[in-house]
Amino acid sequence: MPEKNRFPYGREVQVPKEMEGWEEMYPAHRLFSAERQEWEDANFWYGDKIHAPDPMVPLDEVFHQAWQIALSQHTTRVFCIPPAQGIAHRMLGCYLYITAIAPPSGDVIQAKAEKFGARTFPVFEHYDELWDQWRTRQQGLGRELLALKVPSELPRFVPDFDSATTIPNAGPAQDLIEAFNNAVNIIYRGWQYHFSYLNVTYLSYLMFADVARKLFPGISESAIGKMVAGADVSMFRPEEELCRLARLAHTQPRVAAILKSDRIAARKIESLRELDEGRMWLESMEEIKDPWFYVSCGSGWFHYEGSWINKLDVPFSYIKGYVERLDRGERIERSLSTISDAREKLLGEYRKLIKNDDDRKSFEGAFKNTRTIYRYAEDHLFWVEHWFHTIWFEKMREFGRLFVKQGVLNDVEDFFMFNRLEIPALIEDLATSWALGENIPTLKWADKAAKRKKILEAAAKWSPPPALGVPPDVVAEPFTVMLWGVTTERVQDWLAGVSAKPGDTNELKGFASSAGVVEGKARVLKLLDEIVTLEQDDIMVVPNTNPAWAPVFSKIKAAVTDIGGITSHAAIVCREYGVPSVTGTGTATRTIKTGDWVKVDGDRGIVTIVKRANGHAEPEASIAQHEM
Amino acid sequence: MAYVLGFDQIDKSSLPIVGGKNASLGEMLKAGIRVPPGFAITTESYFELITSAGIAGEIQTILSHVNPDSVPSLDHSSEQIQKLIMQAPMPTPIRRAIAENYEKLCEMCLIDDLPVAVRSSATAEDLPNASFAGQQDTYLWVKGLGDVIAMAQKCWASLFTARAIGYRIKMNFPHDKVLISVGVQKMVRSRTSGVMFTLNPLNGDLSRVVVEGSWGFGEAVVSGAVTPDRFMVDKVVHEINERTISAKEIECIFEPGKGVIHSPVEAERQTLPCMNDQELIELVEIAKRIEDHYGRAMDIEWAIDHDLEFPENVFIVQSRPETVWSQKPKLSVLGNKSGYELLMEKALAQIKLPT
Repeated sequence: MPEKNRFPYGREVQVPKEMEGWEEMYPAHRLFSAERQEWEDANFWYGDKIHAPDPMVPLDEVFHQAWQIALSQHTTRVFCIPPAQGIAHRMLGCYLYITAIAPPSGDVIQAKAEKFGARTFPVFEHYDELWDQWRTRQQGLGRELLALKVPSELPRFVPDFDSATTIPNAGPAQDLIEAFNNAVNIIYRGWQYHFSYLNVTYLSYLMFADVARKLFPGISESAIGKMVAGADVSMFRPEEELCRLARLAHTQPRVAAILKSDRIAARKIESLRELDEGRMWLESMEEIKDPWFYVSCGSGWFHYEGSWINKLDVPFSYIKGYVERLDRGERIERSLSTISDAREKLLGEYRKLIKNDDDRKSFEGAFKNTRTIYRYAEDHLFWVEHWFHTIWFEKMREFGRLFVKQGVLNDVEDFFMFNRLEIPALIEDLATSWALGENIPTLKWADKAAKRKKILEAAAKWSPPPALGVPPDVVAEPFTVMLWGVTTERVQDWLAGVSAKPGDTNELKGFASSAGVVEGKARVLKLLDEIVTLEQDDIMVVPNTNPAWAPVFSKIKAAVTDIGGITSHAAIVCREYGVPSVTGTGTATRTIKTGDWVKVDGDRGIVTIVKRANGHAEPEASIAQHEM
Repeated sequence: MAYVLGFDQIDKSSLPIVGGKNASLGEMLKAGIRVPPGFAITTESYFELITSAGIAGEIQTILSHVNPDSVPSLDHSSEQIQKLIMQAPMPTPIRRAIAENYEKLCEMCLIDDLPVAVRSSATAEDLPNASFAGQQDTYLWVKGLGDVIAMAQKCWASLFTARAIGYRIKMNFPHDKVLISVGVQKMVRSRTSGVMFTLNPLNGDLSRVVVEGSWGFGEAVVSGAVTPDRFMVDKVVHEINERTISAKEIECIFEPGKGVIHSPVEAERQTLPCMNDQELIELVEIAKRIEDHYGRAMDIEWAIDHDLEFPENVFIVQSRPETVWSQKPKLSVLGNKSGYELLMEKALAQIKLPT
């Protein structure tokens, strides 16, 4: 048992026996290691409940591998936020731990300070042109990934070719090897792009929030968010496209009737194909599918969440709802002008409260900068986590199908059971076996995948410690502050041993994202498919939401999410609908059970389980005890 | 000049003849703020009373002999003057004017002998620079013309409490420059009442409305007999940022025969919030309207009626300019920095964590 003023070190943590072999699933440099013990012990690591609340599937870890480099580099080497360093990772027992590295020496801070202003300030002056460039570049990269050719099989013989006029090409095995390497290069590059302006955006937001709190000491995070949040950002386009398709259908009674029926999407499409106007409607849908249906049904971080393009029942169920609302004469679109008028009114009222002329000028300067760049926080999300990741997952499934076809794996999804550094070995093993001739065995990859699925199941039942090591003195890293909410209070909670075991707490803290206090019955939805179970006035408890979830907000009494700050999609939409919400609780979907009676305090960011569905509000016995 | 004026006939320009409280009620009514209906007995009536009774000169003589450093001297003069005023016969034209207005109020509320609050409203009271608050009297649950007139005279007499006399002498404020009008207002049957400020009185933050309330009449809150419930609401987005529900053990209620008494609150009601969110937000919206109307931070007394339906149950009883923060110069909190300077400052900041 470690001392009281610290958490266990990574090397001291024991994982359950059923998880034996978990280390193999992740690259060695991402594990705690004796070689780096001194440095690792000197840092304070905490579980990344925001992006990696579940045990990490090996191939889905690729995004984390990429962001460790990309995020950190933009802070330390690109925009040079003076005292901030990067965020380091370690995998422990299938869970991701991260640490914000302590500030560097004074002369490094000094050198970075000179770069910071020179590099950052021009971004605000030219953001609009830079954003256009950014989007064009990101779209180009996505198209490149989309265009990558993955052989659908390794044929008995390479296709016939005119051996009189052409020299043999490298062949499908080499194509396969290159396709994966290229895909990894592209995803890594995309994650570099992800952070182009995100660090500066978050820093600017934090600056503006400080300014607002100095001027209006009692102001809530949610009110600050309302001042800077944009409504006309890419993340809302998918929903807008659905509204447009619904309007189109509404003008064609036969199309509307099909879309309103209770059949699955595939059947509806069949019926639509039989009608002229149905085919026209389908064409309109096809035209906007890329990019606007490339939206994850979850956060975009996990392959198993799926996206609209491969779960068409999701967008079709929304279209059904929209068409029905149009039948009732309701308005279905968000009114951008109403939203922006409301924001201007709110801003005007706060402005009026500043009575000092100097402060008014400073506020305008701070606001202008933040408002200019803040939309990046919402725009990048669609183009990276949704569109780009959807392309990636689909591409990875193409590899999976090949491995199933070649008899190396049993299931397409098993491809995700191998990390991105192992897959080249997997591919080489297959390519070798194919090249060598007939009946050459590969390693038993399918068995390995099966074993790993068992390890992940065991990991899901295990409660890892919330943090590792000794808490630091100071933090300067903007993501740590903004996304993970590292505050005095939060660290004290961690130190007090507040962990995230299901059932061991009746109170959850998160961001006060949308004001209001309500009580009601909780409905825990892990995946979008489950929204059919949602009843009127439920309190929706979800990992997070995105525009794929939009139509549910008029039905619910409050929303609670694991992931997301005060400008997350759930937060924005809840504020628009006047529905209270607490976001970024980290563990709500595990702590709260469907049927629990919960109180959501959107003013203070607190969710309380008033009465458990099993009849008592007392904490349940915890499933497992960890060291502390 | 009129002896009696309805609240709907007066506004802030009427202050010299109806006093601060009444003028402010008239002004609020004009601004569309819900105040309990009533009327003002003007300072002219007071003049007429002391003139027709022939006691004005006597009062001046007594005052000129007061020794402000001697408590017995202050007490003695106070007693003499108050007796003179109380015993002076109310001139018939004033009595008639009060009777007409009181009857009109009774008819309007469809209640005979309508219970009213009778309050003094001094012309020097509630001025931004001279808080004379608490120096004059309020009488609750007054019923019938006779009692209304008697209480009005008592209000006038209260201009000459020992404390008020001493205070004016000390502040070098001429006695004859402070005149009293009397407000007669329908009694709100307060389920809940209290005070609110259109800024955070702790730090002067203008973006907050702070509401304090408790069960029953506001006297319990104003006098500090209970720790009220306290709500802090964002003035712009109407979020309730702080909500402190206290154990409210005492409430001021009216008991026939006994008047307004302090009464224990039953245990289960003590810790219930004294208002719901809808009522709270209504109060905040009214507070904003009053602040906008006056163009300055305000200190407002309010009540929520027991019987009426929302929102007709929410009344403003009083409002006056906030005097503490409003007089402080608004110093810069951001240090005259540009947007970029602020960003640089933030970029250099580190968060100190507990070790």
